[in-house]
Amino acid sequence: MSVRYALIGLLAQQPRNGYELRSAFEALVGGGENWDVKPAQVYTTLDRLEKAGFVKKQRAGKGERSGKGTYAITEAGRASLREWFGQGVDSKHVQDEFFVKLASSMASGEADPASVIQTQRVHLLRQLHDATAIRDSFDPHAEMAQILLLDKAMMHLEADLRWLDITEQRLDEVKKQPQRKPEFRPRGRPRKRSIV
Amino acid sequence: MKLVRTENLTKIYGSGDAAVTALDNVSMEVDSGEFVAIMGPSGCGKSTLLHLIGGLDRPTDGKVEIEGVSLSDMKDDELARLRRTRIGLVFQFYNLIPVLNAVENAGLPIALDGKKYAEAKKQAAEWLSRFGLGDRLMSRPDQLSGGQQQRVAVARALAAEPALVLADEPTGNLDTRSADGIASLLRQVSKDFGRAVVMVTHDPRIAAYADRIVFLKDGRISDQTVLETRE
Repeated sequence: MSVRYALIGLLAQQPRNGYELRSAFEALVGGGENWDVKPAQVYTTLDRLEKAGFVKKQRAGKGERSGKGTYAITEAGRASLREWFGQGVDSKHVQDEFFVKLASSMASGEADPASVIQTQRVHLLRQLHDATAIRDSFDPHAEMAQILLLDKAMMHLEADLRWLDITEQRLDEVKKQPQRKPEFRPRGRPRKRSIV
Repeated sequence: MKLVRTENLTKIYGSGDAAVTALDNVSMEVDSGEFVAIMGPSGCGKSTLLHLIGGLDRPTDGKVEIEGVSLSDMKDDELARLRRTRIGLVFQFYNLIPVLNAVENAGLPIALDGKKYAEAKKQAAEWLSRFGLGDRLMSRPDQLSGGQQQRVAVARALAAEPALVLADEPTGNLDTRSADGIASLLRQVSKDFGRAVVMVTHDPRIAAYADRIVFLKDGRISDQTVLETRE
């Protein structure tokens, strides 16, 4: 979803062709290693955006193949962009891989949950140490995108580490709780029940 | 020789039924140029450990050696002298004197140790400049931000050229960016200036700057991890 709006935003900056858009997107996110978007995705997205009326293909110059034209933003495109900027973004933490591991250690009795927590703590602290060193190696005057992304990664690591502390403190209460029995689910479409 | 060595360090407060074991048989070592963080939940004994290493308190059992010399064998005045010359301390609240400016604050401990005040201030000014406060030498604490005040406190800890710097929750009173700045400064103190730095913190973000983390739980070392192998 965000790629689509990022592309509209880049076209708001100036008209570009698909190739230029892809390079501009990579520059925006601080490099292709942060967010790799394939050329095919750029072209399909442009196609959809054009059908939705958010972007408009400018007349291709002589000798340009179809699909390679330059695109520009439309008024509807600007409106959709304004709407996008006006909305918050959910933070997703539900299907957490470590959580499944911890829950499994408690359910199976095959590992001590406290040591599973400590292993994870050390793992995250190492990751945090490395992220800190990498962030501090970037030049704040030229590589802000990388610094901001690493700041974000570090803060998430920090939050995960704090969550481990709290979980460790709660282990005794949690162990006393009866294990939740699997629910019987009637077949067919389940009733929607959103967590957040 | 290890710069710091503790052997079966134990501290019990009170006696009889009221006795509380704050530290239980802790043995650890720290090298010159090494940055060690001590982490653990509140009440785990981390501040007690730091105070014993710094000679601010005496153990119930076990011993602390700094540069091969056991603190237990020292008389109070010898211990005070070692604290002033070989150990620098940094606390959560910077403990600066409000009426003195940055350079006077940072130079105070060495002036009190008998050095000429002018010489003490010169030495302090050098550390302040290294820490990016060269243009704030004449500022009083209330004219400095929290992060800058803590930098003055770190400069003060280093003015006497100690071999060991002990920091007790040095970022506990700072916002995230200033806290990062202080943690990075302490790392610099160990890497660029070869001092041993031992820091107590409950903040994982700050602990992650260290070379090694020692985890304390109920007064004992529960785990240790090396974050960066030193050459």
